[in-house]
Amino acid sequence: MRNCLVIDLDRCSGCDTCVVACKHENNVDLGNYWNQVVAVGPSGTFPDIEQYWIPAQCQQCENPQCVHVCPTGASYRDSKTGVVLIDKSKCIGCQYCMMACPYGVRTYNETSHVVEKCTLCPQLTANDELPACVHNCCTGARFYGDIDDPTSDAAKAIAAASADSIHHLPDPGDSKPVTVYILSPKVAAWKELV
Amino acid sequence: MPETVQLTRRSFIKASALAGAAAAIGASMSGSLVETDAAYADSATETKKVHTSCHGCIQVCPAYAYIENGVVTKLEGDPDAPTSKGSLCMKGLNQLHTMYSPRRILHPLKRAGERGTNDWEVISWDEAISLAADQITSTIDKYGSYSFFASVGGGGSYSFMEAMTLPMALNSPTVFEPGCAQCYLPRYAMAKFVYGANDQSIADNAVIEPFNEYTNKTEMLVLWAAQPSVSQTAESGHGMADLRARGCKTVVVDPNFSPDAVKADVWLPVRPGTDTGLLLSWFRYIFENKLYDEKFTKYWTNLPFLIDPDTKLPVEAAELFPSYVSPTPENTPAYVCYDLRTNSVQPFPFSAPDSSPVDPDIFTTQTIDGKTYKSAGQIYKEQAEPWTLEHAEEVCWVPADRIEAAVKLYTDADVAGIANGVASDMTESASQVPLGCLGLDMVMGYVNKPGCTLTQRDLSSVPTVRPVAHYNGFDGMFSDIYGVGAVVGMSPAENEARIKAFPPDRQAQYNKLLVDRLGMKEHKGLYAWCHSHIPTVREAIATGEPFKPRVWFDMSGNKLAMLGNAKSWYEVFPEVDFIIGQYPMLTSFHIEAADLVFPLREWLEEPMVNMTQQNTTWLQNECTHIGETVSHSIPAGQVLDKCEEIWGKLPGLAPGYLGDHTEADVKQGVADSLKAASWDELMANTDKYVPLVVPPKDFYQYYQHEVVVSDGLPAGFGTESRKCEPYCTLLLKMARTGYPFCYPVAQEACDDYSPICEFIEPAESPVGDSEYPLVLTSGRVPYFHHGTMRHAAFARELYPAPDVRINPATAEELGIEHMEWVKVSSRRGDISGRAYLTEGVNPGVVWMERFWNPECFDESQTHKTAGWRECNVNILTKNDAPFNEVFGSYTNRGFTVKVEKGARPDNIWIEPKEFEPFLPTLRSEPTTKDVF
Repeated sequence: MRNCLVIDLDRCSGCDTCVVACKHENNVDLGNYWNQVVAVGPSGTFPDIEQYWIPAQCQQCENPQCVHVCPTGASYRDSKTGVVLIDKSKCIGCQYCMMACPYGVRTYNETSHVVEKCTLCPQLTANDELPACVHNCCTGARFYGDIDDPTSDAAKAIAAASADSIHHLPDPGDSKPVTVYILSPKVAAWKELV
Repeated sequence: MPETVQLTRRSFIKASALAGAAAAIGASMSGSLVETDAAYADSATETKKVHTSCHGCIQVCPAYAYIENGVVTKLEGDPDAPTSKGSLCMKGLNQLHTMYSPRRILHPLKRAGERGTNDWEVISWDEAISLAADQITSTIDKYGSYSFFASVGGGGSYSFMEAMTLPMALNSPTVFEPGCAQCYLPRYAMAKFVYGANDQSIADNAVIEPFNEYTNKTEMLVLWAAQPSVSQTAESGHGMADLRARGCKTVVVDPNFSPDAVKADVWLPVRPGTDTGLLLSWFRYIFENKLYDEKFTKYWTNLPFLIDPDTKLPVEAAELFPSYVSPTPENTPAYVCYDLRTNSVQPFPFSAPDSSPVDPDIFTTQTIDGKTYKSAGQIYKEQAEPWTLEHAEEVCWVPADRIEAAVKLYTDADVAGIANGVASDMTESASQVPLGCLGLDMVMGYVNKPGCTLTQRDLSSVPTVRPVAHYNGFDGMFSDIYGVGAVVGMSPAENEARIKAFPPDRQAQYNKLLVDRLGMKEHKGLYAWCHSHIPTVREAIATGEPFKPRVWFDMSGNKLAMLGNAKSWYEVFPEVDFIIGQYPMLTSFHIEAADLVFPLREWLEEPMVNMTQQNTTWLQNECTHIGETVSHSIPAGQVLDKCEEIWGKLPGLAPGYLGDHTEADVKQGVADSLKAASWDELMANTDKYVPLVVPPKDFYQYYQHEVVVSDGLPAGFGTESRKCEPYCTLLLKMARTGYPFCYPVAQEACDDYSPICEFIEPAESPVGDSEYPLVLTSGRVPYFHHGTMRHAAFARELYPAPDVRINPATAEELGIEHMEWVKVSSRRGDISGRAYLTEGVNPGVVWMERFWNPECFDESQTHKTAGWRECNVNILTKNDAPFNEVFGSYTNRGFTVKVEKGARPDNIWIEPKEFEPFLPTLRSEPTTKDVF
């Protein structure tokens, strides 16, 4: 089972609602973010330009660098769900994981002195509800589920997209990010960022 | 765990009296209210999930609120909503903070220091109502009823009808709103004049057909200066995402590379304020290449009519053919055309196209008895003639090949439509742009078809008799109440008979208020919403001519952030004797101007039914209620009751004020709208009543103009000719007599208004302006609606200060780097912003969001200001002539500026942690009962 988000960048309009929905749902402090939206572009020269947005949060890597460097075992990948999580009772706030994460999507909570990140809202999904960022997304761009289960929203979104529209964030360290971004070439050319 | 406390009104007043000392806002006013005699409710956690609707913007998306022991702890979109489908944007989500913001005011406040300071005394509602009523009655007794005026607008303000009618009750003509002529009125009114029905505005929920998923026909949509993905993110933004995913092509006309421009098939980055040039180039291309819908243009528009060169009005058949007997009723005139069957000028009676005795030539010039008549189509063609694609490129800064690609997408579709946005309302071309947008959809025949923007909904839109249009207020409500105003589509005799049925004294009183309204003689289009011309009101306050407004009741947010050339308003505040405000929090306007402020409910507290979403209507619930806040209509209602008590009788019109005086009436009104017997019944069985659904087969209606009605003719449209009038004859009559608003008594004439789209070079043009070489336009960002939410910490940490979007080439010339602070200056003032270097604007254009900074008067500041001078685009905007001729709109967009290196104002917050004083502090406030 590989639970993750699939995000359709053909739809995403960069409104930042997912950021705020997450912060309210998970009580994330000012200045901290479990997800952020990055504008890619406009690239080109006026008026021949294109742009898209990357909502970035934990990529639910199959080979997570954050887990490898954690000295206490606080960072782990749930073998059952495939979700990368932090056991806050074990976290000593050393922030090695933040340095190891290739995507910069972990954040240090200065109040509780632990590292935090996207959890995919288990408090909601356990009750068959959607993560807050998915539920409230203003363009219907976010899909949650197990990409190995063809009946999940996430798998269906991938199945509906053409092969040249399926992307992952760059993976120089062989982290195997599971999160999928859909971007059609007609909307914009995918840029290899990070 | 929060405690739930039920307070009665009496206990609150008692508590308020105890608390009564002067205090400053910024620190919460609520802390003093700890001891009450109320009974504590059971403190066990009780969680409820209730239906409500977000009121973070005007589209009002359906939502759910989770309530724990009276405290709203979570909001989310309602998945059953047909367009927003569970979305709720951050403007809605952040109400979780603003509802409990330390900036809330929970009790009436009376100024305790000088204007400009943030010192207030908490007073009781009884004292507040008496103070307002005393000021109003004594001023009117001394100076007359025209010394009173009202205003509204600025976001989070629902008091549109209340502001319009409060002055009527006091016999004053003066009311204004920073939107109105600068937002929506021009597009709303032009559609009524030209089409007799709803307009092309996408933000204002007039355009919903493209998001109709039952018939789902829209192949192509032009967003003319609208950015639904930003302004109405969860509803129209979601709708746009679904529409594009279904394969609908889009063209976006916008100087800024908005998210909708990003996703468009063709983006036309027009030079701000020159949209009419672009429109005329579309007309020229469509006429030249015969791309128009010939049958629709011939038989359903007035373009084939011959126009009298002296009157500029269409020639009626009887004028040229004295013995002609029209086959149609008196309410349906016969006109004259050049008939291609007989190759002669012939009467052109109204009929179904296939029954017409003529085949009218759309483009013709005819000389009759030595006089040259052109068809309206010919006049339009000649107006468009100079506007080749190349000329448009030169003037409007859009490459010719892009314009051509856009027009082809628009004309190649079987069904397309134009949806427009606010930008043109904020320019001198406020009437001309909608005239052009309507005219294009009409010559293309994109009218009343499935998939068009120009469609009308519900069974009520299907005519059984000749359609008419009512004027004076929404749907002519004031005409129906007071008997002033003609009904367009009735014959002269029918109008005369109708108007005679009204009591003449009330008619005379209403008519006097109409013609005495400030700025009306020149800008008669403002009659549509009964609003005054804002610069003329300011002038009257400053000079006392023709009368001096002295007591001001403002019904919403930050006027200093919303009014064009805000400093010019600040300068006249000392001329106003007493200023009353109402809002859920204090803004710059209240700090600088207000003497008394009534505390309003936030939207989580206020019961309402507002905008629909497709065929569904939803409840805005009373999810909780804290303090002594009241619904928006109540302060004015209570003040009027007190004035009546003092005077014995109100001096104005009856019924006058149209707003509820008590919460019970507010709630019953909501229950009535949702077809529940009572508020209690609605609360007990909400799922039974919410949403209120119109069956799709009844809701989605098309081809209404072809339906045969009682006179045996096809219904046509609610215009004088019963056809679409892209050559807008009503504008000519309006300029000359005030018709149809001023009827039966004519208003003084002004210069004629242009009946067709014409090009106007902006008064402040970047072409040849060496001192202010860049043209500035503005627009929304998804974080805020109008003046709202600048005190929402989760919005401000993401967008702490306005970006000044500027092309990298221009920035390089100016030595400005990305995210560097800059000074932006116009001929009216200067402000600060952060340069955002982007290829998404033309090198000659800068783009900026309006702004104001509530942190500037936070308790923690050593240098306190009212927060409206630092980053506020309305320091720069232009509120002097030339105005739009019809509506008096001034120039909020498309004026010239210069940009230089600048500095961060010292009391502006930028870092996320700086916004901590905006985090909620009132979650432990007891929940309270209705005050009135």
